[in-house]
Amino acid sequence: MEAQFAIAGKDFVVSVTDKNVVHSIVKMKHTQDKTWQLLPMTLMSVCGEPGDTDSYAEYIQGNAKLYSVRNARDLSVGETANFIRGELARALRSRNPFQVNLLVAGYDKEKKEAALYWIDYLAAMAKVPYGAHGYCSYFLYSVMDREYTEDITLEQALDIVKKCIAVIKTRFMIDLPDFTIKIIDQNGTREIEQSDL
Amino acid sequence: MSIMEYNGSAVVAMVGKNCVAIAADKRLGQRALTVDMNFQKVFPITDRTAEERIIEPKTFSNLVSHMLYERRFGPYFVEPVIAGLDKDNKPFVGTASDNLFGMCESLWEPDLEPEELFETISQALLNAVDRDAMSGWGAVVHVITKDGVITRDLKGRMD
Amino acid sequence: MAPSMESTTGFKFDNVRRNQLLGDKGYKVPTATKTGTTIVGLIFRDGVILGADTRATAGPIVADKNCEKIHYLAPNMYCCGAGTAADTEFTTNMISSQLALHSLSTGREARVVTAMTMLKQYLFKYQGHIGAALVLGGYDVGGPHLFTIYPHGSTDKLPYVTMGSGSLAAMSVFESRWRQGMSREEGIELVKDAIEAGIFNDMGSGSNVDVCVITKGNTEYLRNYARPNERVEKEQSYKFPAGTTEFIVPRPAGVAAGEESTAMDTSA
Repeated sequence: MEAQFAIAGKDFVVSVTDKNVVHSIVKMKHTQDKTWQLLPMTLMSVCGEPGDTDSYAEYIQGNAKLYSVRNARDLSVGETANFIRGELARALRSRNPFQVNLLVAGYDKEKKEAALYWIDYLAAMAKVPYGAHGYCSYFLYSVMDREYTEDITLEQALDIVKKCIAVIKTRFMIDLPDFTIKIIDQNGTREIEQSDL
Repeated sequence: MSIMEYNGSAVVAMVGKNCVAIAADKRLGQRALTVDMNFQKVFPITDRTAEERIIEPKTFSNLVSHMLYERRFGPYFVEPVIAGLDKDNKPFVGTASDNLFGMCESLWEPDLEPEELFETISQALLNAVDRDAMSGWGAVVHVITKDGVITRDLKGRMD
Repeated sequence: MAPSMESTTGFKFDNVRRNQLLGDKGYKVPTATKTGTTIVGLIFRDGVILGADTRATAGPIVADKNCEKIHYLAPNMYCCGAGTAADTEFTTNMISSQLALHSLSTGREARVVTAMTMLKQYLFKYQGHIGAALVLGGYDVGGPHLFTIYPHGSTDKLPYVTMGSGSLAAMSVFESRWRQGMSREEGIELVKDAIEAGIFNDMGSGSNVDVCVITKGNTEYLRNYARPNERVEKEQSYKFPAGTTEFIVPRPAGVAAGEESTAMDTSA
């Protein structure tokens, strides 16, 4: 019942994730940031089984940073995404798999382009222009399919985000009052409020 | 629903006269939901330009076969298709499934030239995926000849 | 990970937990391709004759119309396989290489009972999970030998045998016409008729008849000995004129599909 989606342009990615923490039928919190800054240029949003999400994200974040320390070089977005997928696939075949769905967004300084990777809990991965997970994706893909263009600007992407949030608010059964909206580009990550859209 | 239809796909390969073609659709889905319409399903195994010591298609398919059989009691849910030209440019091809069988059965004929093979495999794939709700959304065809690989993205139905 | 999961030889079980997870979620997991089959063998005056149809099925689909079901074991020994296609293929292949090593170290031609014992011990070890039903025939120092081996490891030694889904149809032919001391020609004809009984009366069997005749010091593999289901020539060619298929841009070789994106066409 969580909502997460992201839209990539040539040199930016906008990542949107809801802020609800739900236990059974009770909303425990409505201010949770479900995104993880893995590296200065790489952001990962994580949804799924509570507990799994945090332990998997912490594991990935730790290893991404460890790689930087050992090799004096950050992993690129693509490398990070492939590592995340590989670890998920390995865990899936072990005693304790992680039930997590992920979107990995980032800016590749060498290739000078933004990249977005969609990864599901079965460790399927795709490099996508826009992606979503969860029940909301059934609405969100319709909006993004219609609105997305290859040479999209940040302003246009934020406009799509606005429309996506509008459709969630009108059509989705669960009330998702607020969203973490983050923009990743060559300057790193910055967060904006829903009211700024 | 079978796990083999979870992501949905169609892959096919055909032999021609001194050439082979391998083709796949581009959809990645989660059951009925389409997630990606530009998903890579055909992968180069050897590079024809680096001729030094490349694995033969027959050898490679034996390798894949053994990798799969090794997991006889805990299989990978994959159905690979292998296509290539061997040392004597003899074509070698594996096979794909259901709808495609019917199309290939009627469209394929022996000794097709590269361009003819391109049309035949393209029409076989496109017509097969148009009757399969779980695959399609564009397709890519590679025709391997002794002179190189022709790669073309097909314009398919996007529904 | 548990040490038992990390064997370097034999079967690997690293996907088992994931597959169980998927199975528990209600996704049907595919079963291995089982070939409906007719395979037979008989002893005649000078040796053994093996026979098989050539249809491979995947559920209701005919996966291969001309596959080979008579597998090589040793120069003087062949083995027909029914059941799970991959199991018959890999089991006979593996035993074949063990037999080659065996005869190299003993300096003698391997005996048919040796192959039979190796096969039954291997299949018994896996308690029927390796779905290979085999007809083993060969000629060694003791003369012609013919065995059937079941997936659980039991064996029969008989003068004429049939196996697979077409075994009943084939056996009816053998029961009415087999007799002691048949000639080579009579034997081949009877094997052909038995396989054809399977081809025409069993849905799982079809296409052509493969025959293998093993006599003292000689083996003859008669691939497609009979072809009772020749495809009629197509009345029409379905060649498409060049330019029929619309494609977007010819991309340079070596550029992966994910490298550039294709916008979705929503005009239709």
